[in-house]
Amino acid sequence: MNIGLHHFIVLSALLFAIGFFGVLLRKNTLVIYMCLELMLVATTLALVAFSRFNGTVDGNVFVFFILTVAAAEVAVGLAIIVALFRRRQTVQVEELNALKN
Amino acid sequence: MTPVQLAILVLLLPLGSAAVIALFLRRQGTLASILSTAACAGLAAVALQLVFSNVRFADSFSWLQVGDLDITLGIKFDDLAALMLAIVAIVGLCVHVFSLGYMSHDGAKARYFGGLSIFMFSMLGIVFADNLFMMFIFWELVGFSSWLLINHFCDKQSAADASKKAFITNRVGDFGFLLGIVWCYHAFGTVNIGELGALAEAKFAAGETMIAGIPLLLFCGAVGKSAQLPLHVWLPDAMEGPTPVSALIHAATMVAAGIYMLCRLEPLFVAAPAALDVVMWIGVVTAVYAAFCAITQSDIKKVLAYSTLSQLGYMVAAFGLGRLPETQTVEGVTQTYLLSAGAGIAMFHLMTHAFFKALLFLGSGSVIHGCHHEQNIFKMGGLASRMKFTFVTFTLGVLAIIGFPMLSGFFSKDAILLLAFEKNTLVFGLLAFTAVLTSFYMIRMWKLVFLGKPRSDEAAHAHEGGFSMTLPLLVLAVLAVVGGYSFILDNAVFSNVFNDVPDSHNHHHAHNVVFATSIGVMALGSLVAYFFYKNDSVDTLAAKSPAAFSGLSFLKAFPDDLYNYYVAKIQQRFALFVNFLEQIFLAGLIVRGIAGVVGLFGMGARALHVGNLHAYVYWFLIGAVLVWGFASGLF
Repeated sequence: MNIGLHHFIVLSALLFAIGFFGVLLRKNTLVIYMCLELMLVATTLALVAFSRFNGTVDGNVFVFFILTVAAAEVAVGLAIIVALFRRRQTVQVEELNALKN
Repeated sequence: MTPVQLAILVLLLPLGSAAVIALFLRRQGTLASILSTAACAGLAAVALQLVFSNVRFADSFSWLQVGDLDITLGIKFDDLAALMLAIVAIVGLCVHVFSLGYMSHDGAKARYFGGLSIFMFSMLGIVFADNLFMMFIFWELVGFSSWLLINHFCDKQSAADASKKAFITNRVGDFGFLLGIVWCYHAFGTVNIGELGALAEAKFAAGETMIAGIPLLLFCGAVGKSAQLPLHVWLPDAMEGPTPVSALIHAATMVAAGIYMLCRLEPLFVAAPAALDVVMWIGVVTAVYAAFCAITQSDIKKVLAYSTLSQLGYMVAAFGLGRLPETQTVEGVTQTYLLSAGAGIAMFHLMTHAFFKALLFLGSGSVIHGCHHEQNIFKMGGLASRMKFTFVTFTLGVLAIIGFPMLSGFFSKDAILLLAFEKNTLVFGLLAFTAVLTSFYMIRMWKLVFLGKPRSDEAAHAHEGGFSMTLPLLVLAVLAVVGGYSFILDNAVFSNVFNDVPDSHNHHHAHNVVFATSIGVMALGSLVAYFFYKNDSVDTLAAKSPAAFSGLSFLKAFPDDLYNYYVAKIQQRFALFVNFLEQIFLAGLIVRGIAGVVGLFGMGARALHVGNLHAYVYWFLIGAVLVWGFASGLF
């Protein structure tokens, strides 16, 4: 079986969909955060595939940037979640509604 | 010090006193009264030195520049200003000293003396002002201080009402004044008094007639401040203030500011004969009308208030009579000069009136103080033997105002009558008739207050006030006697003002007629009043001829009733109607309408704020879809 571009794209779309529905449906902030990262990785995968099949490095350059930013974002985001847990003793989304009530 | 610095010192002394009293001495009445009087004494000393050292100057600096408009603050110190300065300083000092005694038991002395100081500052500002904008600023300031001092007994409803009435009535006049100033600037490009005078003088010399609107609008200011018909209604009510205030502000100085302003702008009026005629007739009508009103008053201060109105009418009429041609033969050459007789005589009468009317008001203050604040002349009587000093000085004041020969009023009133005789016989007749009424109501009041037997306990136990109250009476009595000689003595100090006053008592046919008329009307009015009025506790006129009495009362009450009707029935209803429109359209449709739309939008937007992270993800998703759809041209 010859592996073509569409295989990568379908995989990427699947990963993105899993991430997306995870964000929509899961209640745990940490899991939601992991799903967000999953969506990011899905797009990265698509970019690498485009880059590979086009024979250019444009996509690869994007990926470097995305990875850098994602690393920084993870550092900040995880810190926030840890701080949140220390203060509230919970990371369940439905209990984190201080802005409304 | 240079004269300019001295003049600024004169201006700043009372301002400093007022500021110190307002900031630090509000609870120390005695200290405040001493400070205010000391400041007034200081300014009077400097002012008199300035006046009699014969320096005259003009100086100004730019204060506010907006585009082409350059508003300056400046001092124009000519003979006219010097005369006014002397009057304000002397009468002001007398009133300050008198107040020390009269107000000694008052609970709010600090406010009172602070008010006097701020008044002195504002009045001197008018005297010095070299342009109309600056004059207008101080014009409003005297209005404010007048309001403050009328309202001194602010616990009394009548005093509070009177002060509001004075303020609002003056606003009406001042609006005209302001329009006049703006028009003046529009038409001539300057509001400097000297430049305006030169412009108008040039037009007059070229035989051109100026547009009457400008002087008439400027005259509106004088109508309000000098309480001429139809804006005279505030002055009698202003008698609610303390008596020394009535003497200073509502008799001698502030109400004379209108006359002073007219005289400052004399060329402007002379160049517009139509305006001058209006001024003259308003003055004549006010003089006659107020004299009639004074006859039925029972409050000693109200009699004097209407008398003040009448005398102010005299001055305005004198001003309105305008210039007088006079032929002089010098070394065989006959030349005709135009004397600024109207302005000169008006200022002359202003001066003598300031002295004798301040004397009369302070005398009435002494009487009121002696009778424990009884003001009704029908409850007085027999004060001649109980208050001898007040009786003598008050009598001198009465004689001066009715024009008794050789007292000050005699000279100034005859000068007015002479000018009227030369210019307009009808005006002459009316003014002579007013003089009859003047002596009639003054002798009536004098007799009821001082002669006969006391008609109340207060009058029976009347006593003379202290030294601080008798001394100002003495000073003013001397001035009321000799004030009239100031121009006869060929005095160089005020020469530019008094050189234009024709001498009413030298040998000439007209002068004899005027002299005879003057003596005749004085004797007629006095004798009729003296023999007609009995020392009784009811008005003899009301007892003998109720119809005449009620007619005169109606005459007095008519303008007030008219204004009350206008305000309550016309203006108030119009205001209600406008308010209705405003509520419907402006507040209702425009303001509330827009606010309602925004509020509705806010309510909708608030529904999106649910506090659930997942809901926000959906909103984000919808937003992304919308942006995508918009970008791809779906909508």
